[in-house]
Amino acid sequence: MARILIVDDDTDLIEGQRVFLEKNGYQIETALTVEEGLQKAKESAPDIIIADLMMEHYDSGFVFCKKVRDLPGLAKVPIIMQTAAPRKVGFTFDAGPGRGRDWMKVDEVLTKPVPLEHLLGKIEQYLSSAGSHG
Amino acid sequence: MREGMRRVLERRGYLVRTARDGESALSLLEVEPADVALVDLKMPGIDGFKVTESITRRFAGRTVVVIVSALATVEAAVEVTQHGAFDFLVKPFTPDDLVQVVNRAVQQWRLIREREKYLSELASERNLSHQMIASMHEGVVVLNIRKEPVLMNPRAEHFLGTHFRDGITLADLFPDLEVQAAIEGVVEAASVKPETRILQHAVGDAEAGLASFGPGNPPTYGAPARTSGAWQGMLSLSVSPLMLDGEAGGAIVILTDVTESWKAEQDKNRFVSMVAHELKSPLSAIINYINVILTGMFDDNPAKIKEMLDRCKVRGEALLDLVRDLLYINSREVGKVERSIEPLDLKAVIGSQLEFFKVQTEKRRIVVSLDAPLDHYPVNADRGDMDRIFMNLISNGIKYNRERGSLTVRICEAGDDWSVSVTDTGIGMSDSELSCIFQEFYRVKSQKTSGIAGTGLGLATVRRVLGEYNGRITVQSKPDAGSTFTVFFPRTTREQT
Repeated sequence: MARILIVDDDTDLIEGQRVFLEKNGYQIETALTVEEGLQKAKESAPDIIIADLMMEHYDSGFVFCKKVRDLPGLAKVPIIMQTAAPRKVGFTFDAGPGRGRDWMKVDEVLTKPVPLEHLLGKIEQYLSSAGSHG
Repeated sequence: MREGMRRVLERRGYLVRTARDGESALSLLEVEPADVALVDLKMPGIDGFKVTESITRRFAGRTVVVIVSALATVEAAVEVTQHGAFDFLVKPFTPDDLVQVVNRAVQQWRLIREREKYLSELASERNLSHQMIASMHEGVVVLNIRKEPVLMNPRAEHFLGTHFRDGITLADLFPDLEVQAAIEGVVEAASVKPETRILQHAVGDAEAGLASFGPGNPPTYGAPARTSGAWQGMLSLSVSPLMLDGEAGGAIVILTDVTESWKAEQDKNRFVSMVAHELKSPLSAIINYINVILTGMFDDNPAKIKEMLDRCKVRGEALLDLVRDLLYINSREVGKVERSIEPLDLKAVIGSQLEFFKVQTEKRRIVVSLDAPLDHYPVNADRGDMDRIFMNLISNGIKYNRERGSLTVRICEAGDDWSVSVTDTGIGMSDSELSCIFQEFYRVKSQKTSGIAGTGLGLATVRRVLGEYNGRITVQSKPDAGSTFTVFFPRTTREQT
């Protein structure tokens, strides 16, 4: 059973995604803060991570992703970032391929609300491609 | 001779003055300027040439000289004009000869006068436009066809932080390559398609001091530091082709300081972005729950469905609060809502707010106490504003409190103010969290606060409203021990009651 870690400061958002993904056969770990997320990532070695962008700080998600990548065994874990932030705010980022994405160290940026079926599709896509490489 | 000429000319309507030698003629002209002077070449004292020279030197442009002479030779004529005379009249002459020469001279005088007038108007116009440009509130930079700056007014020098000098280049004034290209484009296109372009140009660290997006550390901008004291801000550049007699001759750049409106717009954009974010987060949670329910995966678990619907309700109500807060802030900003200031009693205001929250405090078994020994605590304020301030503080004191905790409101005298402190026994805050709580949309986010609904606008609004009454708010807090918010509000003075 593939393990998914969801890191988001919104308990309701996590809960909705958790029950949906569990019913679809995934094992879900959740965390509300960057610190807790890193702890859970270390302990459970998830197959894929879903992280929010704006948590304690406006860019907590980026910080979290970078730190996760530095953890042993997690350098290549697929990370899907989801955010309710509009594309153009204070800082700008390009979710497409290229330099911006290298810096962000995430595989995908999805805009909230992310339809559950869409999220499920993305998770399956990343898990199958990770599986074929590994 | 003089009298004969005078009669002839006076009959033609000319006003004639006579002098019998050069010196008296010159002094006569000093007091009574003449349009035409008829000067005899052979006179006692200084001769006619010398007199002509003096007149043309001293009354240039005012008096036309005609030499009267018996020396009717070409050489003499040449010499006469060399000395500055306009014409000469050969003796002996008929009255008609005299009139003809004088008429021509008068005509010449008119031409000279017109030219003089035109030149002086031109000079004063030039002077005027120069002074106008120098006095303008806007900066002005004029470029020639080779895109070289040829004129800068003091305001432009102030904005761009550099003085005009020969050989200064466009790049010296506008280091921004895009701005350079735009200005050059206007000059180049002027002969084909003369068009004005409007663009913005940031000078110095214009973005510094702007409210950053979101809570926490603001993003920093890598703008180059300029010498201290130099103007910095946002300029609007209006670049128009300079047309000289219909030909492209360069460009005129008008620089307007738009820093204030630019900043306001940036702030507004950020605020709208934050609002969009704050609206989308609860909506995402609600839509997620509803979609999970709609999949039917919990049709056999009504309790779970009810739990999710309950959360949808909580989040939906929080959204409504947010919209209300936004409308309140907006109404305050545009000044649509007139405050109605009336004498109020803080004790009564706070008492009724505590009563309003009774259900919630009882549900969480929080012990509420109001410590206010005096009968009345008079203030002059708008009832809606007072309710909003204390509703926010009391509601926070409940939301972030622990079960069976306590909530204490204490009113004291503090100089010219009443101080109202609201103390809870809840989760408290760290110093870094404390530094942010009055920012719009900042919410302390941790495991302890997860699930607690809020708009992130409460304390920001409280502080803003207090500011309008010359009041203020302070906060003391200790993690896991609780927080005390203290409001200082001006007391009603004896004269006011």
